[in-house]
Amino acid sequence: MSLLAPIICDNGTGYSKIGFAGNSDPSFVFPTAIATRGSASQPTRAGPPVPSKPGNLASKRGVEDLDFFIGDEALANAKTPGYGVHYPIRHGMIDNWDHMERYWEQTIFKYLRAEPEDHYFLLTEPPLNPPENREQTAEIFFESFNIKGLYIAVQAVLALAASWSSNRVTDRTLTGTVIDSGDGVTHVIPCAEGYVIGSAIKHIPIAGRDISQFVLNLMRERGEMAAVPAEDQLKIAGMVKENYSYTCQDIVKEFRKYDAEPYKYFERYDGEHTVTGRKYSIDIGYERFLAPEIFFNPEIYSSDFLTPLPDIVDDVIQASPIDVRRGLYKNIVLSGGSTMFQHFGQRLKRDLKQLVDRRLEASVVSSGSVQKSSGVEVDVISHKRQRYAVWFGGSLLASLPEFYTSCHTKAQYDEVGPSICRRYQIFGSAT
Amino acid sequence: MSNSLRPYLAAVRSTLTAALTLEDFSSQVVERHNKPEVEARGSKEVLLNPLTISRNENERVLIESSVNSIRMSIKIKQADEIERILCHKLTRFLMQRAESFIVLRRKPVPGYDISFLITNVHAETMLKHKVVDFIIQFMEEVDREISEMKLSLNARSRTVAESYLAAFAS
Amino acid sequence: MILLEPHNLIIQTTLFDKIAKPSSLDSQFVDFDGVRFHLSTPERKTLIQLSMNIRCWDELVKYGAMDVLQREYGPSIKAQTEADYHISLDIDLEQIPVDEEARDALIKSMSMLKRNALAAPFERAFRQQKELESSGQAQSELMQIHYRDEEAIYIQASPDRVTVIFSTVFREETDSIFGKLFLPAFVEARRNPSLQNAPHVLYTNRDPPLEIRDVPGLRHVEDIGYVTFILFPRHFANASASSSTISNIQLFRDYLHYHIKCTKAYMHSRMRIRVAEFQKVLNRAKTEAATTERKTVTGRTMATR
Repeated sequence: MSLLAPIICDNGTGYSKIGFAGNSDPSFVFPTAIATRGSASQPTRAGPPVPSKPGNLASKRGVEDLDFFIGDEALANAKTPGYGVHYPIRHGMIDNWDHMERYWEQTIFKYLRAEPEDHYFLLTEPPLNPPENREQTAEIFFESFNIKGLYIAVQAVLALAASWSSNRVTDRTLTGTVIDSGDGVTHVIPCAEGYVIGSAIKHIPIAGRDISQFVLNLMRERGEMAAVPAEDQLKIAGMVKENYSYTCQDIVKEFRKYDAEPYKYFERYDGEHTVTGRKYSIDIGYERFLAPEIFFNPEIYSSDFLTPLPDIVDDVIQASPIDVRRGLYKNIVLSGGSTMFQHFGQRLKRDLKQLVDRRLEASVVSSGSVQKSSGVEVDVISHKRQRYAVWFGGSLLASLPEFYTSCHTKAQYDEVGPSICRRYQIFGSAT
Repeated sequence: MSNSLRPYLAAVRSTLTAALTLEDFSSQVVERHNKPEVEARGSKEVLLNPLTISRNENERVLIESSVNSIRMSIKIKQADEIERILCHKLTRFLMQRAESFIVLRRKPVPGYDISFLITNVHAETMLKHKVVDFIIQFMEEVDREISEMKLSLNARSRTVAESYLAAFAS
Repeated sequence: MILLEPHNLIIQTTLFDKIAKPSSLDSQFVDFDGVRFHLSTPERKTLIQLSMNIRCWDELVKYGAMDVLQREYGPSIKAQTEADYHISLDIDLEQIPVDEEARDALIKSMSMLKRNALAAPFERAFRQQKELESSGQAQSELMQIHYRDEEAIYIQASPDRVTVIFSTVFREETDSIFGKLFLPAFVEARRNPSLQNAPHVLYTNRDPPLEIRDVPGLRHVEDIGYVTFILFPRHFANASASSSTISNIQLFRDYLHYHIKCTKAYMHSRMRIRVAEFQKVLNRAKTEAATTERKTVTGRTMATR
């Protein structure tokens, strides 16, 4: 039998991206949610019901644990009496192993329709994931599913690998700064030669959900949302963010441009009430460029988080070891849906470059030296696969022939035990 | 509780309580080291005679004691192939999480399924009788858990088979 | 989810999306038993090509797979099969029926490609049984489908029944022990009065059943098992019964393995609960050490992790 494609499984806090290596897009993207019988609040600590004597067919005893839904089906069943929706992943880390194991079970057998014994798997983990979690994951995949081989990769490293698809990248390096902005939180993660520099990671409490909320606030203030039914408002705001927004280079100029020629820049959106079918139309204006602006001027949205993204990136790189800083400035990679704004990369690059140049000048002045620094190269990489960058990076790495040698196989697991998964070989490095 | 289980557990309990008379004892071999002597086996005079309590040929407990630590190993009842695999899975699962069990040893003593290592530090920081309680309860529940798992496995296999065949009958 | 579904969800969802919004496409994926699919748009965005590679293709063709596929997909089958695949279908999005029901039926039938290919030997056996019944001959030739590396399906028609034999091999020790428990359960379950209409099930370990005893190349080892399903004419009396029987029996191995894996997952959750309980008992033994909050000179607290 020819070797079957490895399965890439990127389980995020909000969404899971699942598919086969070699493809450019995941086969499935659905919420990391599971709807099980029983209350949503707290699963009974008393333990699973002890099955009595094998009963008749009607009662289906002993297989209650198979009665659950995952993904979109889970959300669809949220209202069904008797079911409760759970989110097994919190802050990127697996919180409820029982739910997660069953979530994977159905992912493999219902959605992917793959016999796990025939496949290699590539899973992802957040930076600073405790090694115990890796062991537990390995335990599930090797013991429950008997998979052929497993590789657990750090999401940030995969995002770096995904940037290799951009034609501006010439050397395939795993050194760089990853800006990963999903739905819940934005991380800035420096990586050196495939290893995450854990001490320098920074989080920004602004991400996709906040941008949608901000757009909604703006449109409400202007009175545009009056015609929109309350339950659709957030959805419309999300749509405005995704389809109409872009990053401007200068807010003041942009405001002037809009005021001078409103007809040229204002967009009109026609919607329909989902229930009544009544038509409405709204104007989309300043929020087009203000939405991504909250990364650069967070004070327009939040009152407690005020550091702009370029400053954070600069801090992160300055907190990293000095010998990798050049590499980190040179290769700043974007990943996740909230970095998809047009010209986002250029704006970030410009702002960051200014910060760096200013510091260089200041140091020249303060040292009174006549020698001039050759400057620091700053570059931000945007590419087509940004939205599912982590998954795509996984797909890319898993289709390399060396993937199979980097994996831990079932035989190795049986020999050593779960602790084998504490360490994985970094791609492209010597063993 | 069956007839022979009660005296068996009672014997284990009293032996264990008696064995848990531990004191701090510095290594005689290496300066400023303090090792569990039952593991290190550095010198004969600090070791006591090991003791085996058997309920039958399949179930027994080995208690090895020394001046500052005791090692207790349990052989769990395994009547057939299924119980053997379930027992193996359960003990491995527990030992994988030995970190949080403090007194659990990561590997069993050869010939046994699961081992505990209690040192004088444990005896000082934990209530002695409660530790004994824990081990006795552990012994009871492991047996019960394995038989429950076996039962549920049987029930499950039946339901699975019936559901499959029912699809034909409809 | 207790029973597995016969259709491939990726084909279904992808086609559904592409009908709504055609765009270029190139994706490879799999189905149970090492079947590989390739969905692509080689010429234009509205012409999707679906190719399948199945391990036992030659055997299936021998048992009339082409006829079945011709019947199901007819003009969609491409004359030029994509390299490295066994069959290619064309789906022209410009000629998709507008009617929603017809469209769903088309998508469904496309997503059943693997099921239909694998249905051929079964349909053939059902036909042979009818012929044998009327002619009164002994039994037909034994059809062998080596659908996996180590496992095969054997199908034979007799005047009064069709015998389907699965050989099963478990690669892992735990699986094989669970399998030894699960397989006899199928035999047992048949005794349930409500399942009198189900096919007869026999299970033998190590020794192959009489029907296939003469097949060359069988291994006589401990870890191999044979499950025999005896299908009676009532299981394929009409078209709908026979098609559901085929869909069902094809997935026997996957069903079995799915449930063995689910059982192990269930065992894991039981053990997690047990661990938590033991933990509680042990924690009772711990004496409450007085933990005073320690502070540094500057007033920062020291957190113990």
